[in-house]
Amino acid sequence: MEIYLPIAEMSVNAFLLVGIGFGVGWLSGLFGVGGGFLLTPLLILIGVPSHVAVASGANQTMGASVSGLIAQARRDNVDWLMGAVLVVGGALGTVVGVQLFAWLKRLGQVDTAVSLFYVVVLGVVGTLMVMESVRAIFRRRGGRAARRLHQHSWAHGLPLKLRFRKSRLYMSALPPLGIGFGIGLLSAIMGVGGGFMLVPAMIYLLGMPTAVVIGTSLFQVVCVTASVTMLQAIQVGGVDIVLTLLLLVGGVAGAQFGAAMGGRLRGEETRVLLGLLVLAVAGSLLWDLLSVPEQLFSVGPGT
Amino acid sequence: MPEASDRARRDRVFLVVVDDSAEREVALKYAALRVKKSGGRVALLRVVEPVEQVEWAGIGAMMAEERREEAEALLSGLAAQVQATTGGLPILIVREGKPVEEVLALLEEDPRISILVLASATGSGGPGPLITALAGKAGGRLRAPMTIVPGSLDDKELDRVT
Repeated sequence: MEIYLPIAEMSVNAFLLVGIGFGVGWLSGLFGVGGGFLLTPLLILIGVPSHVAVASGANQTMGASVSGLIAQARRDNVDWLMGAVLVVGGALGTVVGVQLFAWLKRLGQVDTAVSLFYVVVLGVVGTLMVMESVRAIFRRRGGRAARRLHQHSWAHGLPLKLRFRKSRLYMSALPPLGIGFGIGLLSAIMGVGGGFMLVPAMIYLLGMPTAVVIGTSLFQVVCVTASVTMLQAIQVGGVDIVLTLLLLVGGVAGAQFGAAMGGRLRGEETRVLLGLLVLAVAGSLLWDLLSVPEQLFSVGPGT
Repeated sequence: MPEASDRARRDRVFLVVVDDSAEREVALKYAALRVKKSGGRVALLRVVEPVEQVEWAGIGAMMAEERREEAEALLSGLAAQVQATTGGLPILIVREGKPVEEVLALLEEDPRISILVLASATGSGGPGPLITALAGKAGGRLRAPMTIVPGSLDDKELDRVT
């Protein structure tokens, strides 16, 4: 059943889209990740233009994160003040990111740039994930988790100090602002939530207790992906409602299945799988970049 | 014969489940008073939630570690309180999983535990999830008698019923 996507300006099989939504939703439920980093490259690989793929990825991540945020908020695991500071940084990051995106689109380089970003970021993240899990499998039962010490560094000399009660931190608002900005930038260009970088940054750079990290990062992810979707829609015109609806239908169903299975499937083996999946996505995008296209020239309206 | 029953009395263990409810205080006091007046020991069980899937193994391990430490700190605080009443140190147990499942599994594994002490919530929302489950569907798998202490009892009344 071919269906015409008005914004992406292409025809796709509707069942394929529902299927992709289902698959990505299933995986994100299974692994507890947003899924933007899977959806955006998949859409690019089936031929959806990058700007539409990025906007849809951000949108999907937001949908996947809202229910997680509600669950965490109910258990009182969200540091709202820290979240708000991260969101302010994130909002600035998305504004700059979308400007950059629009500029790249005017240059006609946006497809290459997005793919390159993905290859680099996913390549690094995937490699680290696989390495870490493999090491953890070999070392299972031995040794305790790496401890971090409460340390004072140059970051404590910065101005604008705030008391983050929930995180038991008294620190400058500048480091979380900076981290939020970086994630916002990444989110605007790649259509991801950025949780897999935000969470380690919050623990290792900000020193937040792990209990509030997941909830607070979800709060930032929901706000930032919402902002990316809005800005992309306004500035780049990249939100395709037909595409989004079809993906959502599959995604909602898939996430339920994935979450139910994820409860039973846990531990290091799952993480190796996730790492390999990330690497596979990076690899296929790299192949797409390097291989000689079937049609060497494309004809389109002049911009 | 009296000697044997005396020893059984000294060895019996009252298991109190430490959750985040307001009425756990009542269960704890009840168990401590029973031990003080007629012998035995108190065991405190804290069930921590298993860590949900996170992207990084190191962070998952750190989360599990911090939850366990938090549980241990809470239990040792309560242990001091129990010791003040009974004069003996309670047994401290931290397990990971779902509360109902872990309580049942612990009773199954540890034959020393002779009584499970739970306090009921006083509000209109029912007696609390553990009592609801153990008095209902999961009750058939219970391996020790269960005492339900009304959460509304004050110290004087607790002293009278123990």
